[in-house]
Amino acid sequence: MQSIIERIEKEIAAWAPDVGSEETGVVRATGDGIAEIDGLSNVAMSEMVLFDPTFDRTLADALKDPAPIYGLVLNLEEDGVRTVILGEPSKIYEGMLVRRLGRLLSISVGGSLVGRVVNPLGEPVDGKGATGAKEVRPIEREAYGIIDRAPVNVPLHTGIKAVDAMIPIGRGQRELIIGDRGTGKTSIAIDTILNQKSEPAATRPICIYVAIGQKESKTAKIVAELESRGAMAYTVVVTAPASAPAALQFLAPFAGATIGEYFMEQGRDALVIYDDLSKQAVAYRQMSLLLRRPPGREAYPGDIFYLHSRLLERAAKLSKERGGGSLTALPIIETQEGDVSAYIPTNVISITDGQIYLEADLFNKGQRPAINVGISVSRVGSAAQTKAMKKVSGKIKLELAQFRELEAFMQFSSDLDADTKRQIDSGRRMTEILNQGRGVPLPFEMESAIIFAATNGYLDGVPAEEVSAVEAKLQEYLSREAGGVLMAIKESKEIREESEKTLREKLQAFLERTVSAA
Amino acid sequence: MIDTYTRLLEAVAETEDKAAADAAVTKLIVHLKSAGRMNMLPKIVRELRRVASRRHALRPRVEVASEKESSAALAAASALGITARHATVNHSLIRGWRAQSAGKLIDRSAKHALTQIYQKVTV
Repeated sequence: MQSIIERIEKEIAAWAPDVGSEETGVVRATGDGIAEIDGLSNVAMSEMVLFDPTFDRTLADALKDPAPIYGLVLNLEEDGVRTVILGEPSKIYEGMLVRRLGRLLSISVGGSLVGRVVNPLGEPVDGKGATGAKEVRPIEREAYGIIDRAPVNVPLHTGIKAVDAMIPIGRGQRELIIGDRGTGKTSIAIDTILNQKSEPAATRPICIYVAIGQKESKTAKIVAELESRGAMAYTVVVTAPASAPAALQFLAPFAGATIGEYFMEQGRDALVIYDDLSKQAVAYRQMSLLLRRPPGREAYPGDIFYLHSRLLERAAKLSKERGGGSLTALPIIETQEGDVSAYIPTNVISITDGQIYLEADLFNKGQRPAINVGISVSRVGSAAQTKAMKKVSGKIKLELAQFRELEAFMQFSSDLDADTKRQIDSGRRMTEILNQGRGVPLPFEMESAIIFAATNGYLDGVPAEEVSAVEAKLQEYLSREAGGVLMAIKESKEIREESEKTLREKLQAFLERTVSAA
Repeated sequence: MIDTYTRLLEAVAETEDKAAADAAVTKLIVHLKSAGRMNMLPKIVRELRRVASRRHALRPRVEVASEKESSAALAAASALGITARHATVNHSLIRGWRAQSAGKLIDRSAKHALTQIYQKVTV
């Protein structure tokens, strides 16, 4: 009590009447989360304004609910401005006083955000009190230029064999995850976050998961999973649920990028997942239509491409002079009926450095993750792939493509020559090897060893339907018997001659044991 | 065109010359009749109402907590660039005064000071 009294007395003693004047406006009309304001003639685009609920009330009424509501200026017009309301729109009324704040929309960032769930304004929503983040940064800023950037050359392991082997992602890259609903897009993102636990603490990326327009139950489930697996220790969750105003859903990815940039500028690596940008585009379309901006294709505004390009351009690998940090972006896009040629998917495909395309048909066939290897690509990731992974996964993509062709051909002919049969069997086994359940990312050295076994014929004698079971046994065996080799691969990031020799011996021993047991 | 006619009438109204305003309105109606565009009149009236309401919202005004503070408040506001003819009493200010004009606000009321302190301490 005494401390409260002292604090208030201190504030009273320090108070001096404000001698300057403020710029203000008056709400002319409001509706659908948009407010039209008269006045504020000097306000700037993207500037924050404050709707003051205390101005025309008595002090007693004002103190009952003094919390200000913020707005974001998005239209500067001849006779006023239009803002989106970043709060409860029902509290805004005609004639309400609006104060100019003179600063662009900003959020507080800092190391203390790690482990927290916040909204796009940086306010905590996890009931754990204030975040303690001190540094204030505008959420919209220009991306780094070419002078400040370095080439992408450090891998970001997802722990998913199919991705790390065939569609490698580098730190600082932008890799799109695209597919219909329910094909496992979020699972890839969450597995990637979970897999970072196996990274050494010094190089472990800080992960930022941005949930846009998601059901709160889904976000709560993800947070619970991350917490139970110990991944919240290096993760920040930014959430703008489906029930949040469109303005907050539009701002959420920018808030995530701002938090990621903070860590990048500290020389750390950061990973930001935008789940998903289709919903952000829909929120932006809603806002733009309400702001009476001219609609374009599919009623999206003309600057929808710029919205996504300026967001994703903020992903970067910084040069050594800039601290060498990185911000990797994994945007997610939901397609309708597998149509990648729709407006938003084509836009984001052209902006990013590659895409992981998930197909509903493969998902229904039981392939996990349901990646269509044919049209999935990583344009810069191969430069960041480790030597070990490059060595073991060199031909997988080609072999799988050949297998898919032969598989289609096989439907018309039952009489196949031995060579074709061998190729088909090998393809089936490889598909099985790349199958991986949700929530079980593998450390990179284990992935390398398993793919090494598959591509070097150690599993050739295993029927395709038994590959998963044998692989599980192999993982267990390698963890138990080949810890030294795995450690050597992890540390050197390559399979050196002596490691390869030992690995071959261990695999041979495993094979003999398994075959003899069978 | 509606915008142009509205601006024209707005400019005439600003001169506060009633005869000139009447003449402008008469000429406009004659012109619209001859051009067969009388359907524009209701739209022009709607625009003018909007302009008038905006001007009303942004008009110079001074509020005081009590009548006895009026003259001092008007003088102080005028010195700071807001000139109003008279001050209105608003008891909710508790003490002091506040003045508004064309998007500018000077708030020297005790209510504002107390709210600021409350927000600083609690938020």
